[in-house]
Amino acid sequence: MRNFASAVRTAVASATLFAGLPTIHAASDTDDITALREQLRLLDQKIKVLERKQEIAADDAATAAKSAPKITINDKGFTLASGDGANQLRLRSLIQADARVFTGQDPTITNNNAFLMRRARLIFEGTFAKNYSFLLVPDFALNSTTTLQLVDAWVNVAITPSLNLRLGRFREPVGLEQLQSDATAFFVERSLVSQLVPNRDIGAQLWGDVLGGTLSYAVGIFNGIADGANNNNNGENDQDKDVAARLFAQPWKNDGGSPLQGLGFGVGASFGRQKPVAANLTSGYRTDGQQTFFSYRTQSAAAASLTNFSTVADGPTWRVSPQAYYYNGPFGFLGEYALSTVNVRPNFPASLVGSPKVELKNRAWQLAASYVLTGEDAAYTGVVPATNFDWNGGTWGAFETVVRYDVLDLDDKAFTSPGGGYASLAAAAANPTKISTFGLGVNWYLSKAVRFSLDWFHTEFDNNVAVPTRALLKNDENAFITRLQIVF
Amino acid sequence: MKIKTFLLLGLAAALSGAAFAKDIQLLNVSYDPTRELYVDYNAAFAKYWQGKTGDKVTVKQSHGGSGKQARAVIDGLAADVVTLALAADVDALYDVGKLIPQDWQKRLASNSAPYTSTIVFLVRKGNPAKIKDWDDLVRPGVSVITPNPKTSGGARWNYLAAWGFALKKYGSDAKAQEFVGKLFKNVPVLDSGARGATTTFVQREIGDVAISWENEAYLAVKEFGADKLEIVVPSLSILAEPTVSVVDKVVKKKGTEAAAKAYLDYLYSDEGQEIAARNFYRPRNEAIAAKHAANFAKVELITIDAVFGGWTKAQKTHFADGGIFDQITTK
Repeated sequence: MRNFASAVRTAVASATLFAGLPTIHAASDTDDITALREQLRLLDQKIKVLERKQEIAADDAATAAKSAPKITINDKGFTLASGDGANQLRLRSLIQADARVFTGQDPTITNNNAFLMRRARLIFEGTFAKNYSFLLVPDFALNSTTTLQLVDAWVNVAITPSLNLRLGRFREPVGLEQLQSDATAFFVERSLVSQLVPNRDIGAQLWGDVLGGTLSYAVGIFNGIADGANNNNNGENDQDKDVAARLFAQPWKNDGGSPLQGLGFGVGASFGRQKPVAANLTSGYRTDGQQTFFSYRTQSAAAASLTNFSTVADGPTWRVSPQAYYYNGPFGFLGEYALSTVNVRPNFPASLVGSPKVELKNRAWQLAASYVLTGEDAAYTGVVPATNFDWNGGTWGAFETVVRYDVLDLDDKAFTSPGGGYASLAAAAANPTKISTFGLGVNWYLSKAVRFSLDWFHTEFDNNVAVPTRALLKNDENAFITRLQIVF
Repeated sequence: MKIKTFLLLGLAAALSGAAFAKDIQLLNVSYDPTRELYVDYNAAFAKYWQGKTGDKVTVKQSHGGSGKQARAVIDGLAADVVTLALAADVDALYDVGKLIPQDWQKRLASNSAPYTSTIVFLVRKGNPAKIKDWDDLVRPGVSVITPNPKTSGGARWNYLAAWGFALKKYGSDAKAQEFVGKLFKNVPVLDSGARGATTTFVQREIGDVAISWENEAYLAVKEFGADKLEIVVPSLSILAEPTVSVVDKVVKKKGTEAAAKAYLDYLYSDEGQEIAARNFYRPRNEAIAAKHAANFAKVELITIDAVFGGWTKAQKTHFADGGIFDQITTK
């Protein structure tokens, strides 16, 4: 019995034990799963934390990069800029290497077929606190009078986007082509119209774009300079100042797709009152080939007489120049007219008493057109080639053809006696009354920064006499000019 | 002479035209969680200002950690107004940048704090970590999300609220420092701003609890759903007073002083207060506060002045370089 009871107990205990085993196993599995789940959750959190930290670090790096100074080197120059772009310094350059060949000219001219450095400029420009900018442009290209010339030097304050104040040396706001960059004009040399409008002078100017950029204005006061001249030496000829102003409208500028989007037109003008000091405010004029074809009489005061004297400006000087351009796809057109009025008189005797004054009206106009053969857009600011010239890559850059006709008509009164027994203000035998030039050229844009140009200018002179004394005037001028230019 | 006279008249006309420009642009540099508030408020103010003056005003917004935003303004960001998380960040505009006068806080009512807020806890639905009060945030294994007090105004409020709780419960600054030290040991990620911390908690699903601006917590629940998030109100919190100021040097230079001042004044108007309340900020206007009372939990609130002796002292003691926060986090 005992054995039986023992056996029963054992059997019950065993049954109980074996019956309980799955329960023990199940509890253990649940604990394991719970532990594993917790471990998984913790690992998941760790991964998420690491990912988030990386995300935050990337955001911080991106923010830091925005505020870090930037150095950029490209075809716009070398630029150092603050992270927010409000402050920057840029170094640029313009180098033009020319070759000029004149054919069929008078054999006494022996020194004009030449290579020359037309311009060799370093361009420093900068902006501070977004609204204050400057430009400083020295030119190292040698000429007959200077070895280093300060071309542009100005400080600009952007009071509002539509109101800027500029002080220093810069171009007077009159001529359309004169205001165009040296590097982007159709031809290597500007037209005869630019001979009658002022170039760079020293002064102060308010300017800006209004009406959504469709109307540009500029008005300034300057020391005053002669037609086509630069004020290179802080010169002030008299105490009077010239006022120059320009309005230029591009009414459809913001109408994308309009055929008139590239149309711009306006008028520039200047006014001054000159006093008779030497010959500083009377100009000579140059052909498109840059040879002087007109000049007033000059003579030293000591040797001056009724027939040989210096012609000086005395009285009001004013200019007006209506102007327009039109660009549409690869086609470009530019036209302008200039009327320059100057009051001049013989600088003899020194007191000028009895010296007759004459008002001369000189006129010039030009029509010029271009077509980009490779299809890029023509623009006042130049052509940007779709590809760069690359011999190995088989790309050729952009090609543009250009054509121009320009005329300069001098006032006939310059070549007749002003009265009182005086000789004419400009020697009739040494000057033409009118010149006309036909120009033809091709521009090859090897890249945005590099342009090669080949221009031909044919100039005809309407002379006062059958055999002029100035050698240049004895034959038509045929000038071939090539230029390799780098600008960035 | 005539030509010169005409030119002078023309110039005068151009200048006067510029001075009476009808389009006004303001920049409001604010802290992280105010994005939605100022989107609503800017539209209301523009309408109000155009009706009053005829001028069209456009307000641009910039948001980030309050401390970082103050630094940006000092470094030159041309803010017409700042609406920052705390007075210490606005103080920096005087202390470091001299962009505003020293007594800037006296220029507007309620110490230039047109609305207030407080600090609450944001937890996941069902509150799986069983977070009920500040003590739960220092339990081992609890993961707490709060931004970096060095860059975030909200984080400084969080820190000080925790400190105030511990100070009251445990009775000494040393115990409070130990408590806050333990809390920050439970912080796995320090975002630079409150919005980033919300992103970490809600979207990246990190942490068991986020210490949050009350308005930010309500906004998160509204945006992500009451089926995912819950708000827990601790037994004690802090009265957070975001402050606002015109940036005098900027508005004088830009000629936007009148519009900028009106912009801040209008925050105290009925409409401004109503917009603040709708965006879960506690309005100063008692009538409007009563109208929205159901949205704001009743909680014991300590103040920065009573417990910490004001922002200048709190900033120097806790958050300046080498301060207690640095000591806690470098241990």
